[in-house]
Amino acid sequence: MDIGGYVGKILRVDLSSGKTSVKELDRSFIEKWVGGVGFGARCLYEEVPAGVKWSDPENRLIWTSGPLAGSGVYGAGTFNVASKGPLTNLAGCSQANGFFGAYLKFSGFDGIIFQGKASNLVYLLIKDGKAEIRDARHLAGKDVWETEDALRRELGVKEREVSIFGIGPAGENGVLYSAIVGDRGHLAAHNGLGAVMGSKNLKAVVAYGGKRNFEIKNSKLLKEKNDAMFEHAKGFGPFYQWGTGGGFSALYGIGCLPVKNYNTNIFPEHERMNSQYMRTHFEIRSKPCYMCRVAHMKEVTVTEGPYKGFVAEESEYEQLAAWGPQIGNTDLGAVVMLSDEVDRLGMDCNEASWTIGWVVECYEKGIFSQKDLDGLDMKWGKVEMVKIMLNKIAKREGIGDLLAEGVMRASKKIGGEAANWAIYTLKGCTSRSHDHRGGRWAELFDTCLTNTSTLESTWAGVHTQMVDLPAVSDPFSHEEMSTLNAKFNGIRQFDDCLGTCRIASTHPKLQLECLNAVTGWELSLEDAFNIGRRVINQLRVFNFRHGMKKEEEEEEEEEEERPSLRYGSIPVDGPAQGKNIMEKWDWMLKNYYTLMGWDPETGKPLPKTLRGARLKRFD
Amino acid sequence: MIRIKLEIWMWLGKELGEDFQSLSEMRSIREEEVEEGITIRDFIDRLAQRDQPIREKVFDRGRKSFYPHIVATLNERVISPYEVYDRVLKDGDKITVLPMYVGG
Repeated sequence: MDIGGYVGKILRVDLSSGKTSVKELDRSFIEKWVGGVGFGARCLYEEVPAGVKWSDPENRLIWTSGPLAGSGVYGAGTFNVASKGPLTNLAGCSQANGFFGAYLKFSGFDGIIFQGKASNLVYLLIKDGKAEIRDARHLAGKDVWETEDALRRELGVKEREVSIFGIGPAGENGVLYSAIVGDRGHLAAHNGLGAVMGSKNLKAVVAYGGKRNFEIKNSKLLKEKNDAMFEHAKGFGPFYQWGTGGGFSALYGIGCLPVKNYNTNIFPEHERMNSQYMRTHFEIRSKPCYMCRVAHMKEVTVTEGPYKGFVAEESEYEQLAAWGPQIGNTDLGAVVMLSDEVDRLGMDCNEASWTIGWVVECYEKGIFSQKDLDGLDMKWGKVEMVKIMLNKIAKREGIGDLLAEGVMRASKKIGGEAANWAIYTLKGCTSRSHDHRGGRWAELFDTCLTNTSTLESTWAGVHTQMVDLPAVSDPFSHEEMSTLNAKFNGIRQFDDCLGTCRIASTHPKLQLECLNAVTGWELSLEDAFNIGRRVINQLRVFNFRHGMKKEEEEEEEEEEERPSLRYGSIPVDGPAQGKNIMEKWDWMLKNYYTLMGWDPETGKPLPKTLRGARLKRFD
Repeated sequence: MIRIKLEIWMWLGKELGEDFQSLSEMRSIREEEVEEGITIRDFIDRLAQRDQPIREKVFDRGRKSFYPHIVATLNERVISPYEVYDRVLKDGDKITVLPMYVGG
């Protein structure tokens, strides 16, 4: 491969036949789609026709690295998973950090395409350009950490000799928000990609580490730009010092912390529930991802409260919010315990927490009796009850079977008033653990408009100047937020093509210079935006092909690009009291569609937009 | 004269130095005594004129507005930049300055 950064090979694994094959990557394909989510989006479009359900063997599960993974860029161990996901029945793309993105390449491949379904539970082992499907029946029912331990033991390898990603009981049992989890604390969490993996009887993938097996075109320039990027990351927000939970209280201050399923925005305990408190009170040990100097990942030992002595991954922002204020819990040790539990079971903490919060509200308001909940006293802050409920969900046991369908489906099934209390988008996915009705309208809009099931365009409406866009003055402006989402669209998807962690690569222009140093390309910022927009349009065409609905086409159906009633409701108290994003939602949609080059009524990409993105006609 | 409380949160506050009371990783707080009838714009502008860190990190004196990555609340309610600046402060009001940031 004469382009730096690529091994040049894609592995195909047919789990039905048990056969594997390797395809050389075509130069024009690489230049057009770059890697990561780009490769995933294109393969998904080419290989998964309309009518294929998420659980059909013909669905694809595509794991792809990117050109910067394993290159020496700090924290570049990221990979992307793409598939048709169960929550939305549309495209799902999700990234996990850790080591796998680098080790996948060191094992000889830029990506893996899984198809078919194994006759029994299996795992895949890749090493030195070879792939082997192995029996995994002995791993059935094990949680993700037990699976990692068992595989390392039987392979006789040390902790960082291999990278292992797999599914827990949730994925095996088809919980619609199952995640793919690995390297002791990293997740491709969104849109139930773990359930797709489970539907294929694939328990885990093991990739061996090793030496760099691809070219870097300009090592000197790469070192210079990489060091500059690290210096920038150190001063960028709270992450270097405090991790992602460093902004927990700042989010509370602008009404963005989810409290008791959006019933209030008052949570005075926030200063004892954030990373500043955790890192100054609990015992902390660094656990960096592959070659990362930013090292925002930590391991903690709880030093106070009922869970004193509990050792686990440090809870990051989303876990802090999900298992703290959203469920009415004020014990930080319990947050660590529940974060560990949901990871072990192999579920997305966000969807799990929105579901639990809704259950507690329904119980409080008499929709569910204790008997309905299999005897569980699901009051706010009852963390041991939550732990039991999470296990019931993962095993689809009792009430857990309903809740395993996710909060949209569960609330619709219960119906009545309770259906109005659930937080989700009408596409079927849920937001990250924020209250976006506060100062994060850009993310609320993005979550509803996304083609991947998770954030697609925004950086929370800030740092526009880093990509040469004008500053935004009001996070509660319908006009500014919808315009910003459209103008910003592209750079985030481009970033997700590269195999890097967003916390370590905080400067898009320096990141682009790193990419050019590795590959030998001379891409401009405009090129990067165009590549990202190509990915967005590709995923959007895929989604329309797979039945994404619009009011105009099917009047009896709800329009999908919209929040649920509660998700789009008006905060009743707190810093954002009275702010109403829905007041101009239809205007925001039309403005965004128009700026994206899509039909302002249907949201479908216009032919000229697809031509500009070098895509085929809409089909 | 009236007393106004100013809170600068998180990493913004840390950069302001020792002249704030309760300087911590979480929030930096101080009270200012100003004349009656002063607007929020004039109040913050005056602080920015006096304190270099506020000038550099919080309030853009050239544009006479907060920098784009800043959110301000008045008595713990977010205030829109379009409506905030000409509001006249009352005795006991609290202005909180928060950073907007990516991620979390």
